[in-house]
Amino acid sequence: MKRRDAAATVLVVLAGLFLLALGGAPAASIVGTVTASGLSSNADAVVYVAGVSGTPPAAPALMDQVKMQFVPHVLPVVVGTTVNFRNSDPTPHNVFSPDYEKYNLGTWPTGQSKSYTFAKCAKFPCAYTQLCRVHPEMEGFVVVLQNAMFGVSDRQGRYEIAGVPPGKYSLGVWHPKLKAQPKPVTVEAGKPATVDFTLGK
Amino acid sequence: MPSVAAVNVRQRHPIVQVLAVLVLVSVSATVAEAVPAFARKYQTSCQTCHIVFPKLNAFGEAFRLRGYRMPRETEEMVKEKPVSLGAPAYKRLWPKAVWPGEVPSSVPLAVNIKFADVNTSALNPDGTVTSVKNDLQFPQEANIFGAGTLGDHLSYLTEVTFGENPDGSVSVELEHARFDFDSPFGPEDLLHIRIGKFAPNIVDGFQEMWISTDAAIDTTFAYNPVGLAGGTGLAGDLSPAPIAFPDRVRGIEGYGIIKHRALWVAGLVNGISPGANGSFDGNSAKDYYARFDYKIGGMGLDGDTGGKPVPDENWRDDSLRLGAFIYRGDGSNIDFPLAAADGSTVNVRDQHFLRTGFYGSVFVGNLNVFTALVHGSDTLQQFDPLSSVLLGQVAPTYYSWFAQADYLIYPWLQGSARYETVAPGDKSVSSLRTGTFDVSALIRANVKAMFEYQRDLRQGENHSANVLVRFAF
Repeated sequence: MKRRDAAATVLVVLAGLFLLALGGAPAASIVGTVTASGLSSNADAVVYVAGVSGTPPAAPALMDQVKMQFVPHVLPVVVGTTVNFRNSDPTPHNVFSPDYEKYNLGTWPTGQSKSYTFAKCAKFPCAYTQLCRVHPEMEGFVVVLQNAMFGVSDRQGRYEIAGVPPGKYSLGVWHPKLKAQPKPVTVEAGKPATVDFTLGK
Repeated sequence: MPSVAAVNVRQRHPIVQVLAVLVLVSVSATVAEAVPAFARKYQTSCQTCHIVFPKLNAFGEAFRLRGYRMPRETEEMVKEKPVSLGAPAYKRLWPKAVWPGEVPSSVPLAVNIKFADVNTSALNPDGTVTSVKNDLQFPQEANIFGAGTLGDHLSYLTEVTFGENPDGSVSVELEHARFDFDSPFGPEDLLHIRIGKFAPNIVDGFQEMWISTDAAIDTTFAYNPVGLAGGTGLAGDLSPAPIAFPDRVRGIEGYGIIKHRALWVAGLVNGISPGANGSFDGNSAKDYYARFDYKIGGMGLDGDTGGKPVPDENWRDDSLRLGAFIYRGDGSNIDFPLAAADGSTVNVRDQHFLRTGFYGSVFVGNLNVFTALVHGSDTLQQFDPLSSVLLGQVAPTYYSWFAQADYLIYPWLQGSARYETVAPGDKSVSSLRTGTFDVSALIRANVKAMFEYQRDLRQGENHSANVLVRFAF
């Protein structure tokens, strides 16, 4: 064994010992596919780990208004997160929600943003529909969850939840139009768990 | 004040009436149509819904009855995505916001055009024969359709027909303009509410009877019930037509499907039109009608298959459908001036009239046989046109029936034979009896050629042979 290889091996061992000293096993991911029955796209399903508390991020999340659409169409956040609503269109936009405590942030011109902190949710998940009074066809969703262990499916239905500590969990799913029952999942250290969902009406 | 029909209804010699009907080949309109706007919306062939268009298969009938929605329709089946007129969440904001809806992403227009080579022969009262040979009616008629859905619970159909007359003038008719509320509440398809000008569902479901879809000699619809001693024959080109059994109405209709198999229909409509003073209604009284059908076997009326496999050949639907219908009309205060035998004029009113009937259709393999029987009773009162004194009253009855067999030889080729008869209310006039034979060939799914021969079975000099080409896009 050359001297350089030996040094690398020592570093890896030391890193492992450091992690063990911190008391945490390496986190894993949950992956899978969501099938949205009858819809032309499998996107926009939020798959989340239920029943585990978390903390909101320090930085605000962003929901943009681009080409007369809310982008992203579905934005999951941890309860307590502040979301900046930005208008990137040349036309004025409004943001309001008819759900839960209901709010109307007003109407503002291009380039400006307004914020709202999603601090309340009695029963997770809380899905806040985002609407624009100026353009009634616009629709987006902010989905308030307990923790940051969530993923959003793409058009093919693929999702990934990264950084899940080993353990047994209940995996829920939220979709703008369809539903599915939660599923149990067991996450083992360093080994991705696979859970698929089929959504229906 | 009594209204007077705009065109006098004269007593006609029965042979003249037959001539009028044969001439109708060139001017009549159709009930059932093909609407390629749906082919574009779903990116599917005409034959998804039609056998030999416009005849519908069981799936197409379900599509029609469900308000132009496919059975178990899902978002992914609609290839031409509609334009949202509001996010669904606005439903929760109503009445503080407009209820959301949709419009098609492109204007859902469709065009039907027909060319006809018309040959007719008719015996005149003086014994001479009037014949027309190879009258190339190119085009014979053009129809422009708009049809589709406007979101979850709304649908519509409009149809404007253009006909070019021999003198160069153009006739235009708004044949359909209707708006439907589809399953506004309750179980799906149990209730549809239709308003506008439309073919009532007592007629519309029979659309496949229009064998030679451009020959409107149809005993159940075209009979003229008004006469001094009862009706003598078909209404021909009279306008306004006294009601035998209306093919178009202005009014409101409710219909629905019960447990996949039963169809109910109830309607309230203007009745005889037009009236005096520019109104559409001949009087203030409304006509009403009802129908009930039940289908045994085959696909459900809403497209339900009960989980059972359906035939590979989508024109097959081994089944029996039976129905009964009733139409009650009120022609009070509507005068039809008639010429009496002495040359004087008498105003005749059809005070009230009743049409009842039965309908049956059976599919076995490639064969479809269907029939309808209509019995009519009228209360005809005669008035002096000057003094309005009641001169007399008769209560004639008539009946008519037809039977037709369609056989699909190949998916693109259909042969049909039809017999129909009318026993007029005026018993001094013998029954009308007509036979029709038709061969229809799909050159393409949306291009059809037809050869048709029609014959007055009482008088062989009265006959018609036509070749038609029809295409839709």
